[in-house]
Amino acid sequence: MTSAINRRQLLRRFAGVGGALAAVSASAEAVEEHPAHPVAPPDAIAMLFDNTICTGCRACMPACNEANGLPADSLMSGGIWDMPSDLNSKTKNIIKVYEEPGEPGYAFVKRQCMHCLDPACVSGCPFDALKKNEWGAVTWTGSLCIGCRYCEVACPFDVPKFEWDRWNPKVVKCEFCFDQRLTKNQEPACTAVCPTGAVIFGKRTDLLAKAKERIVDSPGKYFQQRVYGEHEAGGTQVLYLSNVAFERIGLPKLASTSLAHYATKVTSVMYKWLTGPILMAGVLGFAIRHNWNRHEAERPKREKDTGFPDQL
Amino acid sequence: MSPLNARTSDTAGTTLINHWQRGVPVSRERVFTPTLIFFAVIAFIGFTLALIRFVSPLGRFSGMNDAYAWGIWKTFNVMTLTALGSGPLALGIAAWVFNRQKLHVVMRTALVSGFLFYATGLIALGIDVGRPWNFYSALMPWRWNSESAMLEISICMPLYCALFLSFEILPLILERFYYTGSGHTKRILVRASPYLRRMYPFMIIGAYVIPLMHQSSLGGLLLLAGTKINPLWQSPCMPLLYLLAAGLCGIGFVTFLLLITCLRYSRSLDVGTLIELGNLLSCACLLFLAVRFIDLAWRRQLPAAFSMSRMSLLLLFESILIAVPAIVLRFKAARETPRTLLKMATLACLGGMLYRFIPTTIAFDPARKASYFPSLPEVIMALGYISVGIVGFGLAVKFFAVLPGDDQDWNHVFRPIALPANWMQWPWKVVQTDAPAKSKGERPSLVSR
Repeated sequence: MTSAINRRQLLRRFAGVGGALAAVSASAEAVEEHPAHPVAPPDAIAMLFDNTICTGCRACMPACNEANGLPADSLMSGGIWDMPSDLNSKTKNIIKVYEEPGEPGYAFVKRQCMHCLDPACVSGCPFDALKKNEWGAVTWTGSLCIGCRYCEVACPFDVPKFEWDRWNPKVVKCEFCFDQRLTKNQEPACTAVCPTGAVIFGKRTDLLAKAKERIVDSPGKYFQQRVYGEHEAGGTQVLYLSNVAFERIGLPKLASTSLAHYATKVTSVMYKWLTGPILMAGVLGFAIRHNWNRHEAERPKREKDTGFPDQL
Repeated sequence: MSPLNARTSDTAGTTLINHWQRGVPVSRERVFTPTLIFFAVIAFIGFTLALIRFVSPLGRFSGMNDAYAWGIWKTFNVMTLTALGSGPLALGIAAWVFNRQKLHVVMRTALVSGFLFYATGLIALGIDVGRPWNFYSALMPWRWNSESAMLEISICMPLYCALFLSFEILPLILERFYYTGSGHTKRILVRASPYLRRMYPFMIIGAYVIPLMHQSSLGGLLLLAGTKINPLWQSPCMPLLYLLAAGLCGIGFVTFLLLITCLRYSRSLDVGTLIELGNLLSCACLLFLAVRFIDLAWRRQLPAAFSMSRMSLLLLFESILIAVPAIVLRFKAARETPRTLLKMATLACLGGMLYRFIPTTIAFDPARKASYFPSLPEVIMALGYISVGIVGFGLAVKFFAVLPGDDQDWNHVFRPIALPANWMQWPWKVVQTDAPAKSKGERPSLVSR
């Protein structure tokens, strides 16, 4: 079995390719598409919900249904009125009440899409059906969605909902009333209708400043003296102030790193311009060509010895 | 004494000599055995349900919900079973890149089983997605979200199965045409053969790079699930671990499949190849365990891993399933004993499958109070897809030269594709496939019947 190059030469060539790989991956790191802590663009809009102001009137819920053309979820009420138990394929926005058994008082919370600064659902969506739109609204385009439901797996806030009972299922989630109102220069239906100002609409920078002002104005009132959504999952465009623990009102405890950063920090380097796969193909191809040529060179003898044609 | 000439015997008295020289079709068994018909019936029921599901909402056919949006079709038929179907990747790299020449003879078993796992997994995916009619976007690169692991999988998996795996199993099909076809067919095939051979080394590069990408992306998918997955499994190393698990499952499953089919069809075994497979399997298991535990230690999860909680017991169970073959197969005596090898390959497959299955289901814990258990139609459909694979393999070994065998078994007699004369009478008698004129020239067979 003779070969054109010996083992040592082969190893040396592999090492050369490895060095090239390292050099390319180092240069590919220059611009980061998903920083660990994304910075909100200056035109980013936001919602601020303060559960010390919310009276639980639920005016935002029918307003949302009306703006988005959603049917009433009347399963729980026996078909009489809109009474969803949680966000679902008929409910993009819900006011929920949290009571601790044995403790006085209760707290309301408004749940809808958090419109993350670097949304996990958008980075996972294979054909950009979910997209971070103008002003940061995360919207869904039906003609691009294949219904893989990766967004539901990815979303740390359990927001996107799937129409399990329809043949032509849609992914239902709050879209900041993007098509319905934002593009017509109107604020979202829920903030427009809120009678107490528990949920307000504005620029993210303004609302963040306002929220921090409220915390400073009434020390001790708000849980942990901080705004939920300022850093959670890399920052969201829906901000929360709460007088009870965030976990208690269903807002999960999340790290400040964006999930998209965590998921793509290695692959974005490896797959940049398909560098990794192409280099891999080069390394494998080198060895395969070597072994294939040897296989072909030995083939006539093998076929003669066995009396059978070579099988691939 | 070189291992090629080694003669060893296990305690059961089975003599192992080197019998695998080439793919040889199974020509002395009837095609439609009761077992095959049983699986065909399940496949038929499963596919009927799948067809109905295709024109009706997903909710009625599955136990999936918004918190557990992925059911067993994705988590088992795709995530877990394509690991078993990674034999062509793992063994192909060993054979063609690392020049383990003994493995060439088992590549066909790996390729056919891998193709069937991928094809049925893709059917499962097609039935699982809610809006499959929008999948044409895959042909429009400007619609791709190139950073999505899901895109990588939804493009690479069909591409791998339809192009690269199909190309790799093409010689197997053309070979049948060559031996059964007319003179004209033979001439065409003889003329085409050099072109195929010229393409072959280039195609197998793709056949290894593409699955390396998507098998690791299957783990990459779960990175985005973040804290929903228990920290014992959620790790930045998941893409690598999913790939290594695919490797060990692929090697383990091909070993398992070779042993049980050779047992079923009374084929002699081949000690050289089995030792090689056992050795590879043990190395793959060791490598997986090393990465797994270094990763756990790196993320300071080792105390949690040994805390004996429910999740830690699951992790330890999964690791022991992989550690036992890793250690046992280091011993030459174990590698040479087909019974031990079969048991160890089974354990390794189970361990690897568990690792691939757990993060998507058992260790997947969304914040919301919800639970998922596959509904009956969901299970029947999943079994249906698997049954298609079993039926497909059962037919393939009889019509094509898939299973490795002795040169002397090879008599150029391929079973004709025609219904037997007595096909109306059920159950069928043994079908006489060997034409008398051809079997006259047949050399004495080592296969004892």
